[in-house]
Amino acid sequence: MTSIIKFQALSGCFDESPHCYLLEIDDFTILLDCGWDELFSVNLVDSLKQNINKIDAVLISYPDLLHLGALPYAVGKLGLNCPIYGTVPVHKMGQMFMYDWYLSRYDSEEFAIFDLDDVDKVFDRMTVLKYNQTIALKGKGYGITITPVPAGHMIGGTIWKIVKDGEEDIVYAVDYNHKKERHLGCCELEKVTRPSLLITDAYNMLYQQPRRSARDESLVVSILATLRSQGNVLLAVDTAGRVLEISNLLDNIWHNKEAGLFAYNIVLMSKVAHNVNEFAKSSIEWMSDRMVKSVDDARNNPFQFRSVKLCHSFEDLKKIPSPKVVLASMPDLECGFARDLFVMWCGQPNNSVIFTQRTSPGTLARYLVDNLGRVLSLQLDVRSRAPLAGKELDEYLQTKKQKASETMEYEESSEDEDEISGPVGHDIMVMEEPRRQGKKPHFPVFPFHEEKVKVDEYGEVVKHEDFLIVDGVEEAEKDISDAQEEPEEDMEIEEIPTKCMSQSKILKLNCNILYIDFEGRSDGPSIERLVFQVKPRRLIIVRGSQEACEKLSAGCQAENIWMPQKGDHINATIERHIYQLLLKDSILKDLMFKKCRESEVAWVTGQVVYDTGSTDIEKSDVAEAKKNQPHLDLVDYNLIPSHKTAFLNDIKLSDFKQILGKNGIPSEFIGGTLRCCGGNISLQRLETGKVSIEGTLSEDYFKVRDLLYEQYAII
Amino acid sequence: MSRRKEAIPAEESDQLTIKPLGAGQEVGRSCILLEFKGKKILLDMGIHPGLTGMDALPYIDTIEASEIDLLLISHFHLDHSGALPWFFAKTSFKGRCFMTHATKAVYRWLLSDYIKVSNISTEQNLYTEADLEASMLKIETLDFHEEKDVGGIRFRAYHAGHVLGAAMFMIEIAGVKILYTGDFSRQEDRHLCAAEIPAVRPDVLITESTYGTQIHEKREDRESRFTGMVHDIVTKGGRCLIPVFALGRAQELLLILDEYWGQHSELHDIPIYYASSLAKKCMSVYQTYVNAMNSRIQKQIAISNPFVFKHVSNLKGIDHFDDVGPCVIMASPGMMQSGLSRELFESWCTDPKNGVIIAGYCVEGTLAKHIQSEPDEIATMSGQRLPLKMRVANISFSAHTDYQQTSEFIRALQPRHVILVHGEANEMSRLKAALIREYETMPEVEITVYNPRNTTSVELTFRGEKAAKVMGSLAVHKPVEGEVLSGVLVKRNFNYHLLAPSDLATYTDIQVSQITQKLAVHYSGSVSTLHFLLLQLAGHVEKMDEVKSSFRVFDVIDLTVDKNMITVEWKGSPVNDMFADAVLVTILRAETLNEPSVKIDDYGAKFEWDKFKDSLVEMLRDMFGEAAVPKSVTKDDFYVTVDDKKAIIDFYNLKVTCEEDLTLQKILQTAVSRLYNSLAPISAIQM
Repeated sequence: MTSIIKFQALSGCFDESPHCYLLEIDDFTILLDCGWDELFSVNLVDSLKQNINKIDAVLISYPDLLHLGALPYAVGKLGLNCPIYGTVPVHKMGQMFMYDWYLSRYDSEEFAIFDLDDVDKVFDRMTVLKYNQTIALKGKGYGITITPVPAGHMIGGTIWKIVKDGEEDIVYAVDYNHKKERHLGCCELEKVTRPSLLITDAYNMLYQQPRRSARDESLVVSILATLRSQGNVLLAVDTAGRVLEISNLLDNIWHNKEAGLFAYNIVLMSKVAHNVNEFAKSSIEWMSDRMVKSVDDARNNPFQFRSVKLCHSFEDLKKIPSPKVVLASMPDLECGFARDLFVMWCGQPNNSVIFTQRTSPGTLARYLVDNLGRVLSLQLDVRSRAPLAGKELDEYLQTKKQKASETMEYEESSEDEDEISGPVGHDIMVMEEPRRQGKKPHFPVFPFHEEKVKVDEYGEVVKHEDFLIVDGVEEAEKDISDAQEEPEEDMEIEEIPTKCMSQSKILKLNCNILYIDFEGRSDGPSIERLVFQVKPRRLIIVRGSQEACEKLSAGCQAENIWMPQKGDHINATIERHIYQLLLKDSILKDLMFKKCRESEVAWVTGQVVYDTGSTDIEKSDVAEAKKNQPHLDLVDYNLIPSHKTAFLNDIKLSDFKQILGKNGIPSEFIGGTLRCCGGNISLQRLETGKVSIEGTLSEDYFKVRDLLYEQYAII
Repeated sequence: MSRRKEAIPAEESDQLTIKPLGAGQEVGRSCILLEFKGKKILLDMGIHPGLTGMDALPYIDTIEASEIDLLLISHFHLDHSGALPWFFAKTSFKGRCFMTHATKAVYRWLLSDYIKVSNISTEQNLYTEADLEASMLKIETLDFHEEKDVGGIRFRAYHAGHVLGAAMFMIEIAGVKILYTGDFSRQEDRHLCAAEIPAVRPDVLITESTYGTQIHEKREDRESRFTGMVHDIVTKGGRCLIPVFALGRAQELLLILDEYWGQHSELHDIPIYYASSLAKKCMSVYQTYVNAMNSRIQKQIAISNPFVFKHVSNLKGIDHFDDVGPCVIMASPGMMQSGLSRELFESWCTDPKNGVIIAGYCVEGTLAKHIQSEPDEIATMSGQRLPLKMRVANISFSAHTDYQQTSEFIRALQPRHVILVHGEANEMSRLKAALIREYETMPEVEITVYNPRNTTSVELTFRGEKAAKVMGSLAVHKPVEGEVLSGVLVKRNFNYHLLAPSDLATYTDIQVSQITQKLAVHYSGSVSTLHFLLLQLAGHVEKMDEVKSSFRVFDVIDLTVDKNMITVEWKGSPVNDMFADAVLVTILRAETLNEPSVKIDDYGAKFEWDKFKDSLVEMLRDMFGEAAVPKSVTKDDFYVTVDDKKAIIDFYNLKVTCEEDLTLQKILQTAVSRLYNSLAPISAIQM
């Protein structure tokens, strides 16, 4: 019955590399998260490649790059072919993260590590779950159940509970946040008690967070100061995770007249801002009680922004007058609008750049955060994608014409084959959605058609299995027959071939650079407290500096603690003895159960009896199976061995003080001992589970002792 | 039998009781009580729409509200949630209450509307707006498929179709699974998914039976009939009235119309209105909780929210309505008893170009039902008679299961017991008969159908085997026949674990504790007196320390004499406490005595085997007669003869053997060991 449990860290050990671990339970291998750093480190891919065929399931905790960044590559290029599990928001927002990442990269360089098809493949394969929804794995993983538990940090954030055979519980909890935030509830790690194995990170172990109110204030103060001096503020945020917290906070601050920010503009800018916002609006049930209440009671969706405007391109942004605050992705400044804006704005001293999270070492953002105030100028590659012109364009068109001649039936065919095929067309269209809004009627476009046979009149239904979304695009275009000009414009944008340019520039950093922590992770003291509360029997510590890992391990009383090096194989197998015994009614009837915490306990003595009742009738498999089931039956009185009395439960003296108070016995703490009855009786808690009571012979002594005994289940 | 029942506490009983307190052979005031293993669960808390005041409530007075552990609400309709604020405010209910997010959000506005309406019509209000607000704080939410555990009752919600947020509940208590469907529909529509078929097979299915054995029209047919009719009316320049209930089907119809308008640009200049402030209020709920809808809507949300209608506008009231030319209006109430739908109907009914489409379920006696019989004239609210010339159509969009769906559902789940609720008595008995007929030919399927009346309970028995998991040091080797196991049985949420006390902390959150006790007693007597008396008491006194004169008696109690004080120290346990008490009495006594004159060392209590032999002989003779024990027995050769059966007693080992009669052996064994236990000094008995 003992399950063999093995653990291997592919990344994320003794450093800040992304989360990616292998957990083997018997011969079933689970990949816990599949993150990638912003710079696409090759190391991770190598170790992933070696193990790719072993993986039977992937569990994803959060929608950001750090937790699922390498998935498109693994699925698309390495051929990872197994179920992926994640919560509903992790699925939705994860897709947004990946789209934004890809598109931001694509905007500035020839990017071929993965493409949008790979992203879609990942999310098509993902099985979505709700919190506390227990799923039993099938096939090789028979007997294993997985349950996502709320983790805070990001919407849909998950602590995974993996249980084998109903007994062996493994908890994988990283980057959780125990604090309630504006838009998210807190993690429910405390509800987990005594797991047989806890896998957790020590990333924030040496770090102590400032108070939330102080943090919010410093953000507002610096934004206000910049805006008043006619400067612009760049907030480097992620795509669809922590940005929700920051945008919700700022939207509320903007709305608050006293803050005096109402006159200025605030913009949320990313390739997928509109979609992220829509998803946020329809995922309220995953957020904090306060958010839910706001919808239920006031019918006011907190993500129906009052002040924050959404932008998807620099053209959009230009229309919004300065001074303004721009929340732009990516937080690492390696690509995306945030990098472009940084290059544009870093020269002026009245501008501010605010970082809200620490990104991987080696990224521009991290370099600036680590060297706050010390970097005065910077050599930077300024990359961009520009349309081809002149000779290059002619050449391109030449080759293109040949290719396109067959498919030129549709006016939009060029769009089809430009770079996108399959479902991707849908994404591109999605992003252009806001641009089109208001100009022409806006129609719902369904990616899937079940009964919408009415399209027949257009003769379009022919092969919608192959090109579901493209079909949708065509349809949308057709529908908008009266607004033909606009799509043509769009197409021109697509049609003009582009190339990537890169030039190295030296930038003077005159703007303010700040780091304000909006990471939403539990900090050192809280991690220590939580892990102590959870009381894991075994602990694996990952991700975090050597010092941080050691600090966490020192504060924990687990039987075994491992701190794996990269590639280490840890055998966390637990010698486990277990068998099942049927309890006869005769034995249950006489038991005196006593309450103890949430359980009831009783001392039981019985004799093992193999039920042979049915073997007489039929010596078949059924009887055999029955024979294998031992029963526990009443035992002869004389054979019952006496046993040592056990006091079950563990009391706190402070609780007992209250109980004494309730019974009219005043008491007080003096130097760790609880004294009562005029100092005649004192109680002391020596170590876990040991309480001593001292006193002089008196009636009170026995009264106090009786009360003390009442706190225990004595069997 | 009844005596045995009493003997077994409710939580160990195998009887499952299902008692409808409402919705038993009726439609309305759904409320069903489940009772199993001492847990009490209420399913739904509705009111009867046809009755007012206290009469509308389910038969709550037949139960003790304070004993209810859990209350589950399937969806927001009044006949499923209408009595909830009353139940919270006016009864002693202190259990927990769950519903889905969307249900809770709509419930808030729907009941608030209900309070306003009933304020006008009746004097006796069941509850006020404040009660409703208070209930919002007590209602907890759960998401579909999320598993919750309330004191050992495990339950999860499945999609039920019907309306937004409607849930079926799978409840599991001690391994017995009960599925309550609430109102459900197995047909996927434009925004809701079809009711799911849970992957686990329930033992008991409690299902609605509103439509009994009827079968619905196909969805495509009714939709095209509906849009075709609307199209026809408006293109001919007529006005189209659709009386609907504000929430539920109305949203479905709006989706159909909005999409149809989108596909037909020629209709774009014809306005669609919906005239309900309640529907407008709840539109934000529909826009928010798209996760509770079907995959189509969820995919669409990526592009634009389908509940942000493009061709539909809201109408505040008839005053804001400019009646010029063709239009489509959806207005409540659905049965045109009064209100806006009635007003519009009366002003339009004389024109044959106009049309009215009845889309919901109509009750006998309402205008909506009346016009379906196509009368020539109708009576207006003011008593005037008007000719009915407008077109009348009845297209049912009701989202309740029909016979075909119910039958498929039961076939897929194969429950052993089916309990019908929420249906008129006739429909219900027809359904019951049909189901029984269906399974008549299949003797291999064991299925029993019940249709209990209100307050009549269905009692089912589930014999669950109680299995305990033996873990840790107790389970190191496999159990052997006859082996005696002894340990702590931990029961939690109907699961049993058998553990050695030392393993408790490893496998559970229970700590094993120890209480050390130290008592100080004033003592001015001599140490030797105390020693003497302790010897008398315990038979053996261990001297721990010559200088400080400390003793240990009974192996567990330590005494230390220091000047005029004695401290007594021991580890707490019932037996040790008793020893300690005896020692304390001895100390108190020693203080009053003089120095003993005897030499104490050989005065320890000793066990005398001869004495024991005499007592044993005497006892056995009392038990079995003078002849049973021969006069000449010695300690080495001790036997008893009872009914010609000879039992040998191994004296020093206290073992009795009697191969002929095991019962006799048992009796003798008990007698011998008990006699020994009562005569031997405590120190000689292993504790």
